[in-house]
Amino acid sequence: MKKLWVLALKEVRLAFRDVGMLVTMLATPLLLTLAIGAAFGGSGGGNLSDVPVLLLNRDQGTLSQALVEVFDSEGVKGLIALEQVSDESAARARVDQDEVAVLVIIPADFGARVFPEGAQVQQTVGLDLTAMDEADYQALTNEQKLEIGRAFALSQGQVAPDAVSIELYASPDWRISTAIVKSVITQGIEIMNIRLQGMMAIMTRLVTAHILSGANPEPVPSAVPFAAMPSENPQASALPVRLTVTVPGGRSFSWLDYSSASLAIIFLMFAVTSGGRTLLAEREWGTLPRLLITPTAPLAVLVGKMAGIVLTGLLQVTVLWGATSLLGAYWGNPLLVPLALLVLVICATGVGALVSSWAQTAGQAGAIGTAVTLVGSAISGSFFPRMNLPVWVQQLSLITPQAWGIEIFSELQSGGGLVDLLPLLGGALLLTAVYYILALVGFRRQFR
Amino acid sequence: MALVEVNNLVKRYTSAGPNAVDAVSFEIHAGEVFSLLGPNGAGKTTTISMISTLLTPTAGNVVVDGHDVQREPMAVREVIGVAPQDLALYHDLSAEENLRFWGEMRGLGGAELKREIAEKLALMDLSDRAKARVKTFSGGMKRRLNLAVGLLGNPRLVMLDEPTVAIDPQSRRYILDYVKRMNADGATVLYTTHYMEEAQELSHRIGIMDQGRLIALGTLEELTRQVGEHETLVLKLHQEGGGAALAEALTGCEDVFEASASNGEVTLNVDSAQAALPLALAKAGDLGLSIRTVDIREPNLETVFLHLTGRALRD
Repeated sequence: MKKLWVLALKEVRLAFRDVGMLVTMLATPLLLTLAIGAAFGGSGGGNLSDVPVLLLNRDQGTLSQALVEVFDSEGVKGLIALEQVSDESAARARVDQDEVAVLVIIPADFGARVFPEGAQVQQTVGLDLTAMDEADYQALTNEQKLEIGRAFALSQGQVAPDAVSIELYASPDWRISTAIVKSVITQGIEIMNIRLQGMMAIMTRLVTAHILSGANPEPVPSAVPFAAMPSENPQASALPVRLTVTVPGGRSFSWLDYSSASLAIIFLMFAVTSGGRTLLAEREWGTLPRLLITPTAPLAVLVGKMAGIVLTGLLQVTVLWGATSLLGAYWGNPLLVPLALLVLVICATGVGALVSSWAQTAGQAGAIGTAVTLVGSAISGSFFPRMNLPVWVQQLSLITPQAWGIEIFSELQSGGGLVDLLPLLGGALLLTAVYYILALVGFRRQFR
Repeated sequence: MALVEVNNLVKRYTSAGPNAVDAVSFEIHAGEVFSLLGPNGAGKTTTISMISTLLTPTAGNVVVDGHDVQREPMAVREVIGVAPQDLALYHDLSAEENLRFWGEMRGLGGAELKREIAEKLALMDLSDRAKARVKTFSGGMKRRLNLAVGLLGNPRLVMLDEPTVAIDPQSRRYILDYVKRMNADGATVLYTTHYMEEAQELSHRIGIMDQGRLIALGTLEELTRQVGEHETLVLKLHQEGGGAALAEALTGCEDVFEASASNGEVTLNVDSAQAALPLALAKAGDLGLSIRTVDIREPNLETVFLHLTGRALRD
């Protein structure tokens, strides 16, 4: 046992004395994480199309319809595939099953809550102000306009209702898509806001005309455009609409979180495949034969070296976890992250062992290790969001530690607990067992 | 009493290939320096690798201190120390860290290991560079450290595989003197070399290997007796390419037992150098060759090797 420790410490010492290894293990992933965090500001990004979105519109009024139409606008077309639904529980189930990215729920009283004055006018005069365009308005008689002004004035003194919520029920696995849908709705609310502010300006003039009517009637306004938003007035630009994003159990997507973990896993792979390569390098340096003629069992030599590579990898990812956390990245429950890191490091070391056991030289192992790391990272979604990859690629990538790493940290980052984590850790450990069995076969062949 | 018994040892790397070691048998007695002498590729390192448990013999067996290398490799490893031909050190560790690591791998620890490290560093004149990383060392210093690692724990059998290859004369002298001192202190040494002078200076007994076979075995006196009272006449030519023709011309001439050529030199195994020299000069003249230097040597291992193989040891 003591010899295993001696071998492992020697590995760690050699790895941390190698400037090239330090650059690969720590400096590069940290710099990349910083760059990605700065570029994306922590959220959003990616080239997406036809994001599946469900819409449950309980309001059916003109205002909410305007919001729905935003999804069909030129700028959004092709980005979102909208499906209108009526059964809320069925729709939520589809989100839970990751079938769709988001369910948008517009409440029944949306129009009345957003524009209570318009609701009053509709109730008393029978006119839907939000459905009128400028031509419709100009066609009204002065008496009708004054009547509208009277009804409008009635609602002015009423207590403002609470903000109305549009709920986005989002899948934790579609976090970028959720961010996009949220942005589209925000844009729709802004458009709605411009329209309403124009109307409010006109109606305010009408109210004034109504108050003064009979004594010294002021000319009824006719040339104020509907879209004349008083944008300089911050108070007036705010609509009482609140967007509530509900991600079952967790946080919304952050590029910084995602890239911190995925880049750490990529560079862990580089480090451990490089560590595995040293097994062949030691043969070339002559130190492996020398080790094998010490009174130490050959298996102990192998296990000791592997333990050293695992220890090096653990130190590497722990430093990266700490450093990226200082930059604001969230990896998940700090009690579970070490467990996840340990499993992933052991799994990744298996790849290093496997590559080294079948390669002929250290140079060959280095080249294969780099190729395996890069291809594995690409298909597992380390460079771009995993959830945007085709399902068959996502499934295929489960032969890589990177894919399991992203699955594990996505779960942790979205608030997953130990119970949620166990199946993923089990999957990673199963893969690890396969790697080590194949590596042992390779080592037996190579060193017999 | 034999510390090492090598019996009909054979090693073949590929089934269709030649035997790298071919039916080699010898014994090494406790307390002696036994040298395996031979040119590169003779099978010396392969033999050492089998004795040290690193390679599995194709046939035959080796017993070290009563333990069969195949059946009880761990017991064998407990009694041996090896300084391999290629430097086997961690260049990013210091001399002291290397010694500590290899000492711990030999099962040493605590005060004993500390004492061993200090002693070996002092013996190899490396104490002042103990904390320096090996990659900053000269070739000779690395060789000395490589040897020091092999001596950790004062093993009963020390195997030194070409320990003086590619080093400066000062370090070479240091190593040879140390081997003698170590042997005087009771260590048994298996020493491989292709330098005849080293084998002559150090060894109680010498085994000469060529092409995987042990072609002669004995003390220096016993071996040189095999070539009788013959002398060696070495002619260095001005024309590098003419050696082979002169050697061929002299082969079969009276009093010339063997003739070989290498690097512009012709080596003759002759009954009397004085008698053979005029003949050699005449033949050289006939071939249009001119002789730069003439060297007459007493019978030595070079002569023995030439006598046994028809080739010079350096070929």
